[in-house]
Amino acid sequence: MDNRGLSQFSQHGDPRPNQPPGDAAKTGLSPSAPPAPLRPSYTRVAYTFLRNSLVRDMTFRANFLIDTISSMVWVLMNLGFYVLIFEYTPMIGAGTGWGKYQFFLFLGTTLIINSLTRGLFLANAIELSEHIRNGTLDFILLKPIDTQFLVSLGRIEWSALGPLGFGLVLMLHSFGQLGYAPGPVTVVLYVFYLACGCAIYYSLMIAMSSTAIWFGRNRSLLDFWFYITNFSRYPMEIYRGPWGDPLRWTFTFLVPVLVAVNIPARMLVRPLDVRTAADWTLPVFTIVATLAGLAVSRWVFQRALLSYRSASS
Amino acid sequence: MAVIETDQLAKSYRVYRKKEGLGASLAGLFRREYREVEAVRGIDLRVEEGEFVAFLGPNGAGKTTTLKLLSGVITPTAGTARVLGHVPWRRENAYRRRFALVMGQKNQLWWDLPAAESFRLHQEIYCIERDRFGQTCHELCEMLGVEHLLGQPVRELSLGERMRMELIAALLHSPEVLFLDEPTIGLDVVAQHTIQQFLREYQRLRRVTILLTSHYMRDVAALCRRVVIIAAGRIIYDGPLDGITGHFSGQKIVSLQLADGEMPTGLERLGEVLESRPPKVRICVPRGEVTRVLTHIFAHCAVQDVSVEDPPLDAVIAEVFSRS
Repeated sequence: MDNRGLSQFSQHGDPRPNQPPGDAAKTGLSPSAPPAPLRPSYTRVAYTFLRNSLVRDMTFRANFLIDTISSMVWVLMNLGFYVLIFEYTPMIGAGTGWGKYQFFLFLGTTLIINSLTRGLFLANAIELSEHIRNGTLDFILLKPIDTQFLVSLGRIEWSALGPLGFGLVLMLHSFGQLGYAPGPVTVVLYVFYLACGCAIYYSLMIAMSSTAIWFGRNRSLLDFWFYITNFSRYPMEIYRGPWGDPLRWTFTFLVPVLVAVNIPARMLVRPLDVRTAADWTLPVFTIVATLAGLAVSRWVFQRALLSYRSASS
Repeated sequence: MAVIETDQLAKSYRVYRKKEGLGASLAGLFRREYREVEAVRGIDLRVEEGEFVAFLGPNGAGKTTTLKLLSGVITPTAGTARVLGHVPWRRENAYRRRFALVMGQKNQLWWDLPAAESFRLHQEIYCIERDRFGQTCHELCEMLGVEHLLGQPVRELSLGERMRMELIAALLHSPEVLFLDEPTIGLDVVAQHTIQQFLREYQRLRRVTILLTSHYMRDVAALCRRVVIIAAGRIIYDGPLDGITGHFSGQKIVSLQLADGEMPTGLERLGEVLESRPPKVRICVPRGEVTRVLTHIFAHCAVQDVSVEDPPLDAVIAEVFSRS
C-alpha cells in the first residue's frame, strides 16, 4: 500500500490509473465526509453573502465612496425639491392629509423601501439576466440550496443602503416636528407593511428578470425599476380624475406598486384610532398582494428554470 | 454498481435562423425562422463506480450538453438518466450534494475576492463541518500547491492557478461523481501536468467516478482507460483507449531505414508515402496489406531496419472527428 503523504504527491505522481480503492487514511487524505445535514442554514449563507459583499465593496473603496456619495446626493436633491414644493403649498392635494412632515414620513418610507430592495435585490435581479446570457447560472443550479434564494441574495450592494439611514433620520425629525411618537402597535404594523412593500418590489423584479430565460436577454429591469419607483413615490390620493383613477386602479390592483409605500406610510401618519373599516381594505389587500406576488414570482422563476438552455460551454 | 446510467438520452434546441442584413433583421422582428439542432441524439451510457472515463468528440459533438444533462443544469427532450440513483434534472438537493461539475471555460469563484472567501461560502452551502472543511481545504491546497494563493483575489491569479482553485471549490464537499468539462483548456504544459497528476491521485485515493471531456489526448492518455467518443450527438465508440486505433484506423505505418541512399521506385503504389528522405522512408499502408508490402520491399530494396506501428492516436482521433 502506498504510504506517502499527499504533500509529496506533486513530486511523485502515481502513474497507475483506475487502481483499487486506496486507503485514504493511510495515504494522508482524510476519509470521505460523513453525510451532511439535509438543510444548510439559510441565515448563515445569507450572512456569508453580506460579509463577502462587504469585503468586495471595501476592496474597491473609491468606487464604494462614489456610489454612496452619488446616492446620498440624489436623496438630498429629492428632499430639496420637496422642501421647495412645500414653500408653495401646505399640502400635497387638498384635504389629503399629506402635509409637509406627514409627507416626509412618506418620503422616509420610500427611501427605506427603495434602499432595501436596491441594496439587497436589484443588483441580483440584473445579474440574473447576465447569468442566463453567459451560462453562469449553471453553477447556481448545481448548489444544494434553494436556487431562488441563491439568485436573490448572491450580491448585496452596501453602497445602496446609505439612504436607509437617511430615511430613518428624516422620519425621526418629522415625528419631532409633528409632535407625536408612534406607539408599539403602529411600529410593528409599520415594519410588517414595510416588509410587504419590499416583498412586492422583489416579486416584480425577480419575475421580470426570470423572463430572460425565455427571451435570451432582458435588460429592461433598470428602466422598469425607475418607472415603478417614480410612480410609487407619491401618495396614492394624488391619482384622481379621468387620468388618475385608471392609473391608481392599475398600480394598486394589477401591478400593486402603489400600496408598497403608501400602506406602511399611512400606518405612521394616520393613528389607528381614527381608522374606519374602509381604511383597512387596502392593508388587507396589501397582504393578499404580497402573498400572491411572492407565489406568482416563484412560479414564474421555477417555470423559467425548466427552460434554461445554459449558454455555450 | 452503475453510478451513471442513461437510456436514449436526447436534447435538441430550437435555434433562431438569423439572416444577414438590416432588412432581414427588421423582418425578423415580425416573423422568424427556427431550426432544430439535435445536440444529443439518444445516448446510452453506463459508468460504474470508480471509473475514470474520457468523453471525446469534436466541437459541437454534444459532450458538454451531455455533462449538463447529467448534472441537471438542463432538461432533456427525450430519454432517461440516473446518476447515483437520482434523476439529475429534478435538481434534488440530495443529488446536488453528491456531485460536482468543473467547467474549464466558466468561473464559479467570486472574481474580486480571494478564493478562500468562495470556499467559505461553499462550506456553508454544503454544510461542511468546520474542522473537516479546514482539513479538506488544507489537503487539497497542498496537493495542488496553491496554499500561498488563498488570500489573493481570484482576478489576480493566472489561468492555471484559477483552475486549481476551481477544482478545490468543486471538491470541498467530497463529491462521489465529478464531471470535468475541459479542465485543462488553455493551460500551459506544466499546469496541465499538475492537474493531470492531481486528478489521477485524487481519483485513486477517493475512488470517485469521473467523466472527463478534453481535447488534449495527453490528458486522456494519462488518466483514462475507457474512452467514449461522441460525434454529431451519438456515441460512436465506447471501449479501451488502446482499442481506438484498431477500431477506427485500417492503416499501419511502415518505417524503413534503407541500406543505401537510393529511393526505391514504385513505393507510392504500395501506400501513401508519408516521408521520403532516404535513407528514411515512411509509408502508410492498409492493415491487411502489411505482409505483402514488406515482402515487396525486401525483394526490391536493401533494408537496414524496419518497424511497423499504429498511426499516432492524435492522428486517428483527428481523422475520426473530421469524418464525423
